[in-house]
Amino acid sequence: MKRYRKMALTAALGAVIGTGAMAQELYTPNMAYRTGPFAATGIPLMNGQADYMTLLNERDGGIGGVKVDFEECETGYSTEKGVECYEKTKGKAIVTQPWSTGITLQVLPKANVDEIPILASGYGFSPMADGKVFQWAFNVPAGYWDGADMIIQYLEEQGSLDGKKIAFLHLDHPFGKEPLPVLEMHAEDKGFELVPIPVGLKEMQNQSAQWLQIRRERPDYVIMWGWGAMNAGAITEAVKTKFPMENMIGVWWAGHDADLKLVGEDGKGYKSISWSFPNPDAPVMQELREKVIDAGLSQTNPEEAEGVFYGRGLVMSMILAEAIKNAQENFDTAEISPEQLRWGLENIDLTEERIAELGMEGMVPPFSTSCANHTGHSGGWMLEWDGEKFVKASDLLKANVDGYRDLIDSSAADYAEANAPWPVNEDCAAE
Amino acid sequence: MLYRTAGQFKTSYTADQALFPVRQDAVLLGIVLLLVWVVFPLTASEFAFQTLLIPILIYALAAMGLNILTGFAGQLSLGTGAFMGVGAYACYKMVTIFPELNPIVAILLSGIFSAGIGVAFGIPSLRIKGFYLAIATLAAQFFLVWLFEKWAWLYNYNASGAIQVPNLDMFGLYVSGPQAESVTEYYIVLAIVTLLTVVCINLTRGNLGRTWKATRDMDIAAELIGINLMKSKLTAFAVSSYVVGVAGALYVFMWKGAAEPNVFDIPLSFQVLFIAIIGGLGSIMGNYLGAILIVGLPVVLGTAADTRIFEMSALAGLLWLAGILAVAFLFWVARNLWGVAAALGFGAAMLLYGYAQTQGFRADSALVEHINTMIVGALIIFFLIIEPHGLNQLWRLIREKLIIWPFPH
Repeated sequence: MKRYRKMALTAALGAVIGTGAMAQELYTPNMAYRTGPFAATGIPLMNGQADYMTLLNERDGGIGGVKVDFEECETGYSTEKGVECYEKTKGKAIVTQPWSTGITLQVLPKANVDEIPILASGYGFSPMADGKVFQWAFNVPAGYWDGADMIIQYLEEQGSLDGKKIAFLHLDHPFGKEPLPVLEMHAEDKGFELVPIPVGLKEMQNQSAQWLQIRRERPDYVIMWGWGAMNAGAITEAVKTKFPMENMIGVWWAGHDADLKLVGEDGKGYKSISWSFPNPDAPVMQELREKVIDAGLSQTNPEEAEGVFYGRGLVMSMILAEAIKNAQENFDTAEISPEQLRWGLENIDLTEERIAELGMEGMVPPFSTSCANHTGHSGGWMLEWDGEKFVKASDLLKANVDGYRDLIDSSAADYAEANAPWPVNEDCAAE
Repeated sequence: MLYRTAGQFKTSYTADQALFPVRQDAVLLGIVLLLVWVVFPLTASEFAFQTLLIPILIYALAAMGLNILTGFAGQLSLGTGAFMGVGAYACYKMVTIFPELNPIVAILLSGIFSAGIGVAFGIPSLRIKGFYLAIATLAAQFFLVWLFEKWAWLYNYNASGAIQVPNLDMFGLYVSGPQAESVTEYYIVLAIVTLLTVVCINLTRGNLGRTWKATRDMDIAAELIGINLMKSKLTAFAVSSYVVGVAGALYVFMWKGAAEPNVFDIPLSFQVLFIAIIGGLGSIMGNYLGAILIVGLPVVLGTAADTRIFEMSALAGLLWLAGILAVAFLFWVARNLWGVAAALGFGAAMLLYGYAQTQGFRADSALVEHINTMIVGALIIFFLIIEPHGLNQLWRLIREKLIIWPFPH
């Protein structure tokens, strides 16, 4: 009985203190995956995201004077855990960051009912670019269709694609199938032959069958849409079968330093399109080292902090922080609601000057969003592995969004129709 | 004392063979039904519906389907996940082809498709047994998941290859899809699960169930006393796959809302098999106990790790205390000191964790996840060691001891 009384007392006390502390926080949970089959790629991203928010909390006391609670909810990349995390956090969260195409697919219709913005930086469903239909979903700064378009543009710069053969090695999963419509469209326009080669989830680590097919088909280029263990598997197989690495191009999730370090010099020339770049000399990196990493507030190590994925995590959190700041300034309140954050995400204007002001020169291309444009279409750089690290191999490539505008519109309309009644943003004028 | 049977006389054979020969069993079931039909829906949060109540019921139903095949008829199956997938895809095709179809009817009909596929893959069971049959059902598992990926008609040529549940309404009330309220979905799941449980209890106690059990215990002997083995095995496959298929349709339509083919891959089959084994093969109630342990416990532990133990509300604290003491008491009655020690040890660990929290200790979510997996794994081993026949048998032993408690002889 005594124990119970003590417990009740602490409970009452805790309630008072707890609510006091809770009131001054921006709760932006992250559905992290530091465990499970994709942990190796997840950890640097999660660290980058968390460290940027820690930096803001340490340096500026949060955003607009309110601390950011960047709590992680562990999913292990499993959709069931993801839904659990979504339900657990949605009560007080101002944003949800689902972090896997599977979880995004499930959370997308729910968030439209619960009215919480989904921030899926560089992943998820490409038609989310249509902000009128997907009013609560954002895949800034670039979607998979942008990525596919930029890769084709880059290849065209190397010479006409007419009569060429391009193998599309992809994960047999919603994520891997995502760019197919745009690639098929280009294949028809530009006269190259597209050979889709799926890799099953169970065959990620052993792709000998797929690479045998690649050897037989003799493609001029291999475009890879891989994630997690699939990338390391493909890169080691490519080296083993002596495929010319300079003709192999991955999506941004296939540009993980650790995967390339496995093959080192042999991987020289491998490319990956990316909307982020790690710039160790950027002022923000200096500050991170001083205030976060050396202060022991981070789980990262110096080697990882120079990688592409860590830098990408920083950019993701920076975009969220910008949106929060926009909303705070516009609505003149420090504690914003999910609806106000949506406005913030729809009014990001990241110019070169603003990027420099944030100390992130060269780490992300400038872009802006609007109520109709939830992606921003920042474009990106082609990164190349020089044997030790990734370097920029091209100027900024901009996706030619008008080329597949119809596809975005029709896919978004199909989605809305299949999920009717699907409330759309009627107030938003077309661009 | 609590379970005293003295004074409950049976004066006819019918009374002696009734479903509940002991009155307290019926009372206990009444309390459980009252809880799930009235108390939980009124009190549960959105989180509890979506992560505890609905999934536990659906997994329990899937395990019940498997249990009919493996536990009652003795045919080992590793294809449960794929049969759930057949139900889900059949339901998806039906509601997209006939949008006017009542969703509940669609869900109940979708089991028929998986029953058909189940019988087709059950035909090898007429010739092979045991591990060899398990391999044959494994083939079904691989083949069907491959089919879900490759046959684009199944997912209406959707670019992402996933099926997405549309908003379905019934008499103006959304029952499925993102617009549906959790409580509506819960009541539908509960109604279907209750209905199928009653059907399964009656089937397994009746003529068909006895032929299944005879087939399980010794098929040659069963054949000698005139049981048609083909009929017995194939009906087991049909009924089992029907229930599993309905569970699959509920799994996607009432819970997940969207599913890609690999959701139905072998990990799902194993999970359902674990529930059936931990719960107890050849029992109905065991499936619920197993689902609570395997599906519910990780969620409860994860939530407990997130709350500050000394700051939780008085009611929650009281519930935890009562739960731990009740488990300890039941193990005490069953003279199982390991169980008592485990329950009290769990309570002590919680207090210790609460104390560490007051000292500023914070477990990050990845660590919690690792520890959670370890605890659940350890509990599975623990229950299998103290009672290899599953939670259902454990409850039966406790119940027998309760009848004579507090006098051990």
